Amino acid sequence: MTAGEGAAEKSEPIPVDTTSEGKYVYCVIRLDRSREFGEIGIGGGARVYTVNHNDLAAVVSDTPIVIYDPTRENVLAHEFVNETVMREFTLIPMSFGTVFRSEKDVIALLKSTYQAFTDVLEKMQDKIEFGLKILWDRDKVVAAIERDNDEIRRLKDEITRNAASSTYFARMQLGRLVEAAMEDASNRYVADVHEQLKDVSVASRSNKVIGDRMILNAAFLVDRRAEKQFDDKVKAISRQYEDLLNFKYTGPWPPYNFVNIKLKLEKAT
Amino acid sequence: MGLLTNILLAPFLGPIWGTKWTLDKVDRAVREELTDDTPIKEDLMALQLQLETGEIDDAEYVRREKEIMQRFRDVREWREKLGMPTSGGPVRVAESDETE
Repeated sequence: MTAGEGAAEKSEPIPVDTTSEGKYVYCVIRLDRSREFGEIGIGGGARVYTVNHNDLAAVVSDTPIVIYDPTRENVLAHEFVNETVMREFTLIPMSFGTVFRSEKDVIALLKSTYQAFTDVLEKMQDKIEFGLKILWDRDKVVAAIERDNDEIRRLKDEITRNAASSTYFARMQLGRLVEAAMEDASNRYVADVHEQLKDVSVASRSNKVIGDRMILNAAFLVDRRAEKQFDDKVKAISRQYEDLLNFKYTGPWPPYNFVNIKLKLEKAT
Repeated sequence: MGLLTNILLAPFLGPIWGTKWTLDKVDRAVREELTDDTPIKEDLMALQLQLETGEIDDAEYVRREKEIMQRFRDVREWREKLGMPTSGGPVRVAESDETE
């Protein structure tokens, strides 16, 4: 994540109802008493506190009833609260932008989903998530392939030597071979990274890659006790591949990619 | 005058009818495109990546983020018009029976 906030132009959220005040919900934790997390909430530092029901607590801040755009500023505020809560608690993150009309409605959520929240909190106890994106440098990978792949090197030498007479077909063939070798390489790198991280993580999930330079966009669920091992391993792998691949390693995050509770919510009009 | 009007309008009437007919046929595809925010999310993630890798600067990011936010708003508006669920905004626990 980039923290630089610059002089970003503020976009006003879409007002839905300006007469009443709602609760923005960040996450759900296990806690049987109320708790304050400071003035770090969305919309310019609103006070963040808990709404409790039995041993569950929703971490909320007061908000007008609005629709928040997922701008960097807003998303960072949402994430910052969850990061702060995460230092002490296992949490179930709520989707960005979830606003309830009243404390009563938040309690209704905790009540109606009590069992599911409790089960998932149990499962996610002391688990954290790390994000790992791998980008490759096409030119360097192609150079490595040309160096290591005999067939490709031969063909390329031949084309270079007989520049004038080398056929369109030979060039086409070279292109195809390089393309196939690159796909092979990509699969091999990704499989190797997964293999090396298997023993230091609990689970992993691959998301769709972004752009044409990314070959891996994954999330790893890691036990807090194994955080150091996971960290060391990622660093070792990124050193192993430092000439070819660029590792973007983020976290710890709440288990965004590993919690999927279908909440029965409807639009509050 | 009547004839002239017909001649003047004829080329316009043609395409308009044609367009309407096509719109009816592709209505489903258009609806899907107007109400799907997946490509917008992907564009936003790609934009973040460009900022992280230094391909664009902060000012450029802010400018393009604004466009993307407008696209999110447009999709939301269409979804609301068409009575489809939207993410974010005020919600409450659905008053459905405990069937699960």
